[in-house]
Amino acid sequence: MIDPIHFVVFSSILMLIGAYGVIRNKNAIVVLMSIEIMLTAANINFVAFSSYYHDLTGQVAVLFVTTIAAAEVAIGLAILLSLFKQRDTIELDLLNTLRW
Amino acid sequence: MDLLVTIFGSLALALGLLFFLVQEEDTSPVNVAWLIPVFSIVSFVLILLLGSYDPRRGGSIAVIGVGFSSVFSLGVAYDVLINDVTRGGYIESTRIWFGGQTFAFEFGTYIDGLAGLLLLVVGFVSYLVVVFSLGYMVKEGDRQVRYFAEIALFVGVMLGLVVANSFLLMFIFWELVGVCSYLLIGFWYEKPSAASAAKKAFIVTRVGDVFLLLGLVILFNTFGTLRYSELFSNPELLSENAEAVKWATLCIFGGAVGKSAQFPLHVWLPDAMEGPTTVSALIHAATMVKAGVFLVARSYPLIVHSPDTAIYIAVTGGVTAFIAASMAMVMYDIKRVLAYSTISQLGYMFLGLGAGAWAVWHATENGLEVHAQGYTAGLFHLMNHAFFKALLFLGSGAVIHAVHTQDMREMGGLRKAMPITSTAMGLGVLSIAGLPFFSGFWSKDEILEAVHHNWDAEGIFGALWWLGLLTAAMTAFYMTRLWMMTFSGPPSHEVEEVIPSDDHSDSGNWEILKKEVKIQAHEAPRVMTIPLMILAFLAVFSGFVVFLGDGFGSVVFYGAHHSSEGPIQWGLLDHILLSTLTHLSVLVGLTGVILGYLFYKRGDDGQTPFSTAFVSDSVVTSNLHTFLSNRMYMARLFDWFGMRTWDTLAMVCDWFDRKIIDGIVNGIASITQILSGEVRKLTSGFTGHYASLTIGGLGALVVVTRVVFPLMGWSL
Repeated sequence: MIDPIHFVVFSSILMLIGAYGVIRNKNAIVVLMSIEIMLTAANINFVAFSSYYHDLTGQVAVLFVTTIAAAEVAIGLAILLSLFKQRDTIELDLLNTLRW
Repeated sequence: MDLLVTIFGSLALALGLLFFLVQEEDTSPVNVAWLIPVFSIVSFVLILLLGSYDPRRGGSIAVIGVGFSSVFSLGVAYDVLINDVTRGGYIESTRIWFGGQTFAFEFGTYIDGLAGLLLLVVGFVSYLVVVFSLGYMVKEGDRQVRYFAEIALFVGVMLGLVVANSFLLMFIFWELVGVCSYLLIGFWYEKPSAASAAKKAFIVTRVGDVFLLLGLVILFNTFGTLRYSELFSNPELLSENAEAVKWATLCIFGGAVGKSAQFPLHVWLPDAMEGPTTVSALIHAATMVKAGVFLVARSYPLIVHSPDTAIYIAVTGGVTAFIAASMAMVMYDIKRVLAYSTISQLGYMFLGLGAGAWAVWHATENGLEVHAQGYTAGLFHLMNHAFFKALLFLGSGAVIHAVHTQDMREMGGLRKAMPITSTAMGLGVLSIAGLPFFSGFWSKDEILEAVHHNWDAEGIFGALWWLGLLTAAMTAFYMTRLWMMTFSGPPSHEVEEVIPSDDHSDSGNWEILKKEVKIQAHEAPRVMTIPLMILAFLAVFSGFVVFLGDGFGSVVFYGAHHSSEGPIQWGLLDHILLSTLTHLSVLVGLTGVILGYLFYKRGDDGQTPFSTAFVSDSVVTSNLHTFLSNRMYMARLFDWFGMRTWDTLAMVCDWFDRKIIDGIVNGIASITQILSGEVRKLTSGFTGHYASLTIGGLGALVVVTRVVFPLMGWSL
């Protein structure tokens, strides 16, 4: 039996990697991928504690998260596609019209 | 012709409605007294809506509406004064207006002898004035709509003031009367002098109104009610709270001082002559200034518990009567002479009322028989004054209508051209001068007798009596002067005016300016002369009501009243005619009239024997003349006082507002602006910045809650 602390540390590392990816990357597709990594980190926690407590609820939640993540990626990619059509770029540095 | 139909048709209709409403056994016009102001106020609304469709521009509607009010007023007055339905008390009818847990304000009517008298005067005189205006205002064209609307409202709210059953309701009408006078004095608002006169009238009376409101607040705080019937029903309670009653009545009298143009708030009334002459007639004879006298008479049950107030009222009245009469002697504007004469006569009324109240207090203190002769005399004078002053004003209006000037030096010789007006005004002059058997004689005499009666007990009334006597002589003098300058002599003459020469301030020299005046006047139309004739009749004979039946004093009185048997009060007549006081006042009145005649009767060349050179030759008379012509510098003093105090205060307030208040507001605004200028830079538009801020913030929260809190020993 692996101690839950290992899972927690692992998922924290994954989460930080995802966050780093979101902050540092300029390419919108890579940012989307980093968000997926952050979701995975959350999923790992769900599964780990589900098995630790012998409770299936966590695993069911993971199924939902995965589904929603897939939908989110679909919508995100569609947005990026139309963004590219309009602006000819998906570099986030160049998309700063929300600026003051 | 259609005018006659309108006038008599509406009067007949009103009479019919009145009889229909009171046809049941136990109803009297008093029960429908609330309709009196309603008719006029409704006609005000109708004139505003429909006035421009009326061929007389609202005049017909005003005549009908005010006519209904008048018929009902006279009906109530008849029932109260002749049939004595109130039996010396009052008849009240009320409805709840709005109420709280502990109090309720009610509106309704309170009819007693005083209200009956005022209804008679206001209802009658204002109707004549409205009829007269039909002729007088006809040149004004479409603006008559505004005139007739305002005058209908004016009459309506004055009647409302008279029938109101509580100080609160009266105060509302009181303020509305002020508003209407403002609107009417400023009728020719495009003239700067009219506009400022209107403002002056409004603001000066407002000073008094603040006092009145203060007085009402004191009354309500002390007694918890403002209804007449509740306030007046308990004399013991009133005398227990003598201090509060004293201050309340003093404040209430302050309101009357403003409204009735008593010293030192008299400055607005002469300026109020800027309005149409009919408005002046209404203000002076029926509405507005009579409201102040009415207020004091209405508060009589309170005032008799405060000798200080009574003396203050009498002194104010006496002093005002004297100084106003002295100024009236030198004015050349015919309307200004009448304005000062009104102030003076109102002073007389207050003198009578104050003396009566003091007499009642004195008699109660010493267990004597209570008899407020001054009360009856003051109100008797109010009635007589209403008739002869309306007559004089409408007469002067007819004169101004004919000669298109208000300066008496440019009049003269109008007697032939305007026989009806000159005769009617002559009767009015004799009446106000107090010549025997004219109406002013009876009431002025009674006032002087009431004041004299107090002399033995309180020395100050002696001085007031002398002042009153002197005023009577001056009144006779300046009224004779007015008539002589206007009507006597040939129609054309040369006018001399003494003016200060250019270097007057250095040399003190005067120059005489000459100009030729030719007068081409004609008698006024019948719609104007008939009201004059009616008023002239009343001005001559209204004084005799003291003797008819039980006498005037049996319906308008305070405390007890003497009455003798028989249809005519011979005893009273004896008493008046054989009294030395009467002989004395007749003597001074005659002296005044004769002096006025000798000084101002225009000769064949149109000049008055009392030439302007006579004034300018002597240092004393010329200085006195300047002093009085400048209205005793009262207006100047007020202006100076205003500049010094209020302007300084205004400048301080202005500085405080600009620097302190605005500084705070602007400071807060600019701090916010600077801060926001910095904070807005966080919105860089880069997604990465937002994400790192979010995560950084979350991290900071975690650190604070999980690390800092446990270390400091706090818990969430």
